[in-house]
Amino acid sequence: MTTELIDAGYSQSIDRLSNLSVDTYYNPYKTFAWPESLPDRQWWMSQDLMTVYGTPQMQQLDESQLMALSKWESINFYSLNIHGIRELLLEVTKRIHSPGYEMPSKFFHHFIGEENEHMWFFAEFCLRYASKIYPDRSVKLSSETYEPEVESLLVFIRILVFEEIVDYFNTRMSMDASLHPIIQQINAIHHQDESRHIAFGRQIVKQLFTQVSAKYPERLQMIEDYVKRYIITSIQSLYNPAVYKDAGIAEPHSFRRALLDQPVRNLYHKQFVKRNVDFFLKTGIISQGIFQ
Amino acid sequence: MSSTSTSTQQQMDQIKSWLLAKKPEIEDIDPDFDIVENRVIDSLSFTEFILFLEEVSGREIQVYTESVDVFRTLRSIQDNIINGTAA
Repeated sequence: MTTELIDAGYSQSIDRLSNLSVDTYYNPYKTFAWPESLPDRQWWMSQDLMTVYGTPQMQQLDESQLMALSKWESINFYSLNIHGIRELLLEVTKRIHSPGYEMPSKFFHHFIGEENEHMWFFAEFCLRYASKIYPDRSVKLSSETYEPEVESLLVFIRILVFEEIVDYFNTRMSMDASLHPIIQQINAIHHQDESRHIAFGRQIVKQLFTQVSAKYPERLQMIEDYVKRYIITSIQSLYNPAVYKDAGIAEPHSFRRALLDQPVRNLYHKQFVKRNVDFFLKTGIISQGIFQ
Repeated sequence: MSSTSTSTQQQMDQIKSWLLAKKPEIEDIDPDFDIVENRVIDSLSFTEFILFLEEVSGREIQVYTESVDVFRTLRSIQDNIINGTAA
């Protein structure tokens, strides 16, 4: 690894975010008053975050069916969090205190600790109230390898995309009074920590992109294509046939395809990824928007 | 040809068509052509491919890293997913 992260603003940012992590530290294992059970007949997820929102398919489901769907969509959302956190923990742990990461390692300690705790409370929610975590369907195929600096950039881009989309959902659900207080609380607490992780993620992606641009300009088009495809893939992962099956919807794969084919859904996808796309456009990592 | 093998052939034709649409520069896919090594599917399209295979085969597929080889060729997909019980 030859990464050298030398920007002065970056260094100050690492210190500031590390201090914030210390000052706002909480014990997640004592923070939540977990109810014994949650009623099935309630909204588990903000309706405007559901994959059916705004579609003709939503009109064909009654309130009871939509509430059931909201439960399983929320469990899918937290399951995606768990799997996303597993990947980022593996990748950040591989880099902490390794050459090129001397400066951010200070924050990596907080990042790893906090992400482990997030994974715990998301898993706790899934297992307590749904007795399941949806399995991870993603696979890293061994045929795709790039230079270490490019690999690192792609890793931190993936982490940032994941965190920004999740944060959009957390922010919305933390303020949604139609949701049970425990649902609002886990989303609020995750949002509180993620705001620091996102700030850090933007900094490290900018630093790594500057290096890669100078050293491997021939990789820039691949990186742009990758970012766009990764964002689309991330959005598609919200549409899980296993969720539709658990909600009692017939032909779940066809249902999924029909939803993804609805042009109206792109309006919502665009909102989910707006901050992400604006950042990637501003930094020059991508040259055109997504979900036009 | 039996109705079972006809059905299998139709399923395999659907799978081949899906893959060819992903990689238009390829005209045909031999049963032993490695679709992972030749990047007909990659990490970002893998999940969509699995979901498509579930729809075609009518069965849920559990994906673990060690079973990726099952998805490398049309022959292996036919043996293990369409006609078999693996993955």
